[in-house]
Amino acid sequence: MKINHLKLLVLIFSAIVLFISCEKDITVNLPKQKQQYVVEGYIENGLPAYVMLSKTADYFSPVDSTALQQYMVKNATIVISDGDITDTLLQVDPSIGYFYFSPKIIGQTGKNYSLRIITPDNELLTAETKMLPAVPLDSVWFKIQEGKDSLGYVWAHLKDPDTLGNCYRWFAKRLNKDKMFIAPSGSVFEDKFINGKAFDFAYNRGHLPNSTASEDENEEAGFYKTGDTIMVKFCTITEESYKFWRQAESQAGSSGSPFGSPAVFPTNIKGGIGIFEAFNPTFYTVIAKKPD
Amino acid sequence: MIRKYSLFLLLFLQIQILNAQDKPTRFTISGYVKDAATGEALIGANVYLRETMKGVQTNTYGYYSITVDAADSITLMSSFVGYSDYMQKMHITKDVRININLRNKYIETQEVVITAKKEDQNVNSTQMGTVQLDVEQIKTLPAFMGEVDILKTIQLLPGVQSAGEGNTGFYVRGGGPDQNLILLDEALVYNASHLFGFFSVFNSDAINNVSLIKGGMPANYGGRLASVLDISLKEGNNKEFKAEGGLGPIASRLTLQGPIQKEKSSFIVSGRRTFIDLFQRPPFVKKGSNAANNTYYFYDLNAKINYQLSDKDRLFLSGYFGRDVFNFKSADTGFKFRIPWGNATAVLRWNHLFSDKLFVNTSIIFSDYNFAFSAKQESFSFNIFSGIRDYNAKIDFNWFPIITHNVKFGVNYTYHRFTPTSAEASQDSTEFDLGGVNRLYAHEAAAYINDDWTISDKFSVSAGLRYSLFDFTGPFTRYVKNEDNETVDTIYYKTNETVGFYHGLEPRISAKFSLDKNSSIKASFTQNYQYVHLASFTSVTLPTDVWVPSSDRVKPQDGRLYAAGYFRNFHQNMFETSVEVYYKTMRNQIEYREGAQADDDVKNNTDNNFVFGKGWSYGAEFFIKKAKGKLNGWVGYTLSFTDRKFPDIMNGKTFPAKYDRRHDISVVVSYNASKSWTFGLTWVYATGNATTLPVSRYFMFGPLDLQGVVSSGLPNMSSGQIYDVYGDRNSYRMAAYHRLDLSATYIRKKTKRFESSWNFSIYNVYSRMNPYFIYFNNEVDKETGEFKIQAKQVSLFPIIPSVTYNFKF
Repeated sequence: MKINHLKLLVLIFSAIVLFISCEKDITVNLPKQKQQYVVEGYIENGLPAYVMLSKTADYFSPVDSTALQQYMVKNATIVISDGDITDTLLQVDPSIGYFYFSPKIIGQTGKNYSLRIITPDNELLTAETKMLPAVPLDSVWFKIQEGKDSLGYVWAHLKDPDTLGNCYRWFAKRLNKDKMFIAPSGSVFEDKFINGKAFDFAYNRGHLPNSTASEDENEEAGFYKTGDTIMVKFCTITEESYKFWRQAESQAGSSGSPFGSPAVFPTNIKGGIGIFEAFNPTFYTVIAKKPD
Repeated sequence: MIRKYSLFLLLFLQIQILNAQDKPTRFTISGYVKDAATGEALIGANVYLRETMKGVQTNTYGYYSITVDAADSITLMSSFVGYSDYMQKMHITKDVRININLRNKYIETQEVVITAKKEDQNVNSTQMGTVQLDVEQIKTLPAFMGEVDILKTIQLLPGVQSAGEGNTGFYVRGGGPDQNLILLDEALVYNASHLFGFFSVFNSDAINNVSLIKGGMPANYGGRLASVLDISLKEGNNKEFKAEGGLGPIASRLTLQGPIQKEKSSFIVSGRRTFIDLFQRPPFVKKGSNAANNTYYFYDLNAKINYQLSDKDRLFLSGYFGRDVFNFKSADTGFKFRIPWGNATAVLRWNHLFSDKLFVNTSIIFSDYNFAFSAKQESFSFNIFSGIRDYNAKIDFNWFPIITHNVKFGVNYTYHRFTPTSAEASQDSTEFDLGGVNRLYAHEAAAYINDDWTISDKFSVSAGLRYSLFDFTGPFTRYVKNEDNETVDTIYYKTNETVGFYHGLEPRISAKFSLDKNSSIKASFTQNYQYVHLASFTSVTLPTDVWVPSSDRVKPQDGRLYAAGYFRNFHQNMFETSVEVYYKTMRNQIEYREGAQADDDVKNNTDNNFVFGKGWSYGAEFFIKKAKGKLNGWVGYTLSFTDRKFPDIMNGKTFPAKYDRRHDISVVVSYNASKSWTFGLTWVYATGNATTLPVSRYFMFGPLDLQGVVSSGLPNMSSGQIYDVYGDRNSYRMAAYHRLDLSATYIRKKTKRFESSWNFSIYNVYSRMNPYFIYFNNEVDKETGEFKIQAKQVSLFPIIPSVTYNFKF
């Protein structure tokens, strides 16, 4: 939905560069870095809290699934408290570690959560977040794009509350086609410019990172197609997670250009990097069809 | 404040005393130095007495004045780059007006000599770090894509660095691109480039003179830390009507000039335009195709007229207008946009001679740069714009009390109107609240005095003092931010209420001591304040970069330059050599804070996104020039170090500036083979650019689909995203940059009426793949699901030959 003029200029510039430029493979020597802990802690309304804990890798180290295992952190002590209950998270598979969850901490609107991790080498990581009330969409629909026969975007109507500081994230998946909800590029937005307004907006179809599916590379890329059953998961998120994902998406979208953003992600993890967030979704189902 | 003013008075009084000592037996020789064929003023020409070798340089209007004791016989000499010398013996008994017409040596002998000045000017002038370029000579050097570009020639001088491949941006002694004062007929040009910097806005056909001051800036210039690039437009031939033009692969040019009233008034009009877009329409391409929907062009227009009101008064009116326009329309999504940007300037000047010794120029100047972007998709429309507009008035006096003094003093006032990024967006009838048009107003003023004083045959000093002030006034709304960058308060400033006020004294001094006839040592100190700042998001200078004023949050940039040099000529001035060393400090430098994004500027104060720090630069510049002969040219070598330190970037760790370049070599050669052929060669070498690369990475899934996890376990690795952790800022060096360019200029069939020439240039002769940027490619092996990372280096321009045709009649 958002149009970023800088990104467009970058696009034009990149087009010029691509038109005349040439590239070659080179070898770069990068200095060795101290490893950092990476935290992904999520609490969705109505579902158990879970945390994924890993470490950063040297830039050129291999990333196959066996190599990845050595960056997954096992046997960390991870504790989440929601003010009433404090629970130590369990490892789904203690031989791998990485994925920790709590059957007792269930996401609930209005709760404040605190996270405390003691790593196997005794480093302390902490973070806090809160579950904001969900702001639902008024309606969601599919619309064929002008000039297309069966392809289009999903549209929605939002009435943003009068209070400033609401942040949102959009996920969607096609039933029987996508295994999971996917966030398209630009999935997060805030109400700085739209505070209290009611308006329509549209999202294109996101794809998984590194997807090589043909529908993500041919003319269908970015579009939904008539016949799709689309589930939309529209989340109210915290400002911290808005800022984190905005930067993350910006980096993912700009890697490989001189405009790449070497910025540090604004993390809320003290002692590490990553994000600890509670979010509050509402769900919608749309069937993509031609207008009657 | 009063105390500071009193310093001015003191200086002024001293000069008055000097004047009072003026004996009645002194007489003044004054006048203009002009090109004999065209009547163009020759700027910076030397006028001197052969007996004492003392003299002056003509000012921006070609005026000179020499006051000497009465003598039976003196010899008045004048010389200028590429012109035959003038010499006249005379007996002076009264004040005389002598207008000197110099003949262009180039036209007479076809010998283009890369030279300038009285032959030993480089050794004998007090100025250091000043270079004057001859536009005719630049035209015989290799041109990138056939477009002769003065900014690219400037980059070949020691101490001046190119902003990047094919780029017109330049960095002087570790200063940023916004620290160069670029003046076109006294009007400030805020963005001197077209097409993302590949071409400059200066059409060489319309330019009379280019001079660059990279150190020892005299007090009549101010407002920038690093350098002055002073460009004068031609006045127009006042003897006969002339047309000249050219056709190159990028653009075509046409210049018309001639007298309105012979010898009294003349005009010049010059235009340049790219023409690729003219072929992007039917019948060349299909209507509605992508090629027809996406067009780009730029154009420049220069115009100037001048009128001699009387012997003592002359009026000049000149202007520039240029635009880049990019149109885009996606046939697929219906998304379209239009981006125009460019500069406009207008200058009205009045020269007046109060006496033979006192020259005054009064100027009224308008300068504007703006950028706009308008986009539309279905019912959604979006506009964004930014820019800066100046209204400027100034009076500059040039007083020649006696041959050993050349005094300049004056006042200058500018009213700035800044438009940092403003945006509007709407959908059908819903207007989004983007904070409305954001305009900032400021007053800038300065007064200065500068004296070039020849104390003895060996020793001379140029000393000056500038007082400048800046007042940023309301209406203005300050959004007060907390640590998390959330607005916690807004402060409203009323119209004319001061938001930020700054002022300061800027002493400038340079001195020369002659060791012998052929060598001298020079030293200089300059203090400069710069009250405006250019904020750039990216490592490439883009038209979206915005100018912002010093404010309650942003302090003026404060630069000090210390320089010293040794100058020596050999073989009757055939070879000129110099070594200059410098040390420079820059306080109150700005950068966007880490992680700032373009839309943070909207509904916010741009300067809320800045962090502040300091910088410094030091280095040595070596220069050898062969100034005479069929084969001439120069070799320059610069060794330099440029660092920055910001408390809020990398926790205050020192990092190299993006224009830190350890070694920089330029070789420029011109060979006049015959009357019709001239060959040119340039070779440049520079240490690779500093850049920031990722050093480690990690993997994130994002929020999972918990039901999916329960039924089928953790998702495949390929559904996660890899993110990078970047290393220290500018800690990685790309490979060195080097490039050879060649040119051949053939002048064909020269009659009195018609002349044409062909310029053949080859850019990057050995097709060196110079690094432009480095990126990393992540690929997933479809079979194994493995990631592979490969570093890739992107280069912009391989070997590019070009041909340009020029004509004159």
